Amino acid sequence: MTTATLAADAAAPAARKADRGPVAIAATGIAKRFGAGPAVLEDVDLTVHRGEAVALIGANGAGKSTLLRCLLRLVEPDAGEVLVLGERIGALSPRALRRVRTRVGFVFQKHNLVPRLSVLSNVVHGALGRAGLAAMHHATAPATLRAEALASLDRVGLAHLARQRADTLSGGQSQRVAIARALMQRPDALFADEPVASLDPAAGEEVMTLFSGLAREAGLTLLFTTHNMAHALGHADRVIGLRAGRIAIDARAAPALAPQLERFFD
Amino acid sequence: MLAFLLWVAALALVVSSFNGVGFSAAEFVKGLPQMGRFAAGLFPPSLDRIEPVLWSLLETFQMAIAGTVIGVILSVPFAILSARRLSPHPVVQWLARALVSLFRTVPDLIWALFFVVTVGLGPFAGTLALIVDTVGFCGRFFAEAMEEADRGPQEALSALGARKGAIIACAVLPAALPSMIATSLFSLEKATRSSVVLGLVGAGGIGMELEVALTFFNYPEAATIILAIFVLVLIVEQLSGMFRRRIIT
Repeated sequence: MTTATLAADAAAPAARKADRGPVAIAATGIAKRFGAGPAVLEDVDLTVHRGEAVALIGANGAGKSTLLRCLLRLVEPDAGEVLVLGERIGALSPRALRRVRTRVGFVFQKHNLVPRLSVLSNVVHGALGRAGLAAMHHATAPATLRAEALASLDRVGLAHLARQRADTLSGGQSQRVAIARALMQRPDALFADEPVASLDPAAGEEVMTLFSGLAREAGLTLLFTTHNMAHALGHADRVIGLRAGRIAIDARAAPALAPQLERFFD
Repeated sequence: MLAFLLWVAALALVVSSFNGVGFSAAEFVKGLPQMGRFAAGLFPPSLDRIEPVLWSLLETFQMAIAGTVIGVILSVPFAILSARRLSPHPVVQWLARALVSLFRTVPDLIWALFFVVTVGLGPFAGTLALIVDTVGFCGRFFAEAMEEADRGPQEALSALGARKGAIIACAVLPAALPSMIATSLFSLEKATRSSVVLGLVGAGGIGMELEVALTFFNYPEAATIILAIFVLVLIVEQLSGMFRRRIIT
């Protein structure tokens, strides 16, 4: 057990007590190594309760993004078990895995929108999991899906840009559209991999506030990685710190935790 | 030292190639009067049979259009099956790639002969040859365009539970489309030039007219046909270039 974990012990039980409730995500013994390189994740255990907001922090290469991807099998873990929204995803067929993925919105660092398509089409894509190819383009989508996509865009304040091409948007606008696409999934949980890392500080704060606000408003479980201490402490209930592929701290988010978290931000 | 040896080997290859083909400036200069006589025989071009020549030219263009359109459509599934990460299975990928390579490496003239034997003389045989040639050309470049498509949007759609088919339709094809359209337009240019040659083996189009004119030493008519081909190819290249520029911008 590391010093940081010991130091966090006083805060962690309180956090767990406060957040006790149905488990949304549980991972045990997750390990991952790419090729012959060093282990990216080693024996990682993680539990996130429904409606809880958790920030994953750590230096570059600590394993945050890999862990997030392992939870949805976007990266296959070498070992361990993952429970997402009541489903043991390691044993699922591709079809059942897709069904679980439709319930988890994932926002990436670089928005990952389809650049040549309209903003509305990109948001409609959020329904691909449940509506199939009808959601491939705003023109092929039924009116109900289009209306839902417009409503999602409205929630992120960009309904007026619906017909604009995605590659004409600013970074902040693109990330908002990515959030609207995730909302279009009607998710139970939201994952985000450094969602504001490529934005300037003002746009980053704006998008992060919108993102965590929407998650709280809808009672969604929120798990995000960040390199920003203020975002970790300001938008999460709990902070989990990764160092060299292992969890080194797991504590309730509070301003008093800041000195202990410093070492996780390189 | 290795670099020096490679340079020497490359030079030896070039010199031996010149020797192998009997390259001779003297022979060329000696043959210039002959070339002059042939060129003089071409002028003035004869317009006696301009109407059938123009109909044949239209047929040639129709072969190019039909062959390219069907070839481009067929190239899409071939490209998906042969593209890394998109193919459903490595064996399928290998087979699709092998087939596309076969279509590309066998010359279109051989395909034309093959189809003349299969469906008889005429433009249909030529069109079939162009289809195969187009799949060989576009199948490869479409697959490369799909492999180069940004993986970010594909990962995003995979993360939200989309099927592979939906990921291809919604993320891969939109990203690859500009390159695919540019390749298709190149393919139309290539098919227009090929369709001229295909007529020489009886696969329809203006090539058949050219072959008859040359066989009967009717050089003025051959000149008309060559000029007509030149104008057609030029127009197709100009239009195709214009469309490509618009797509890129």
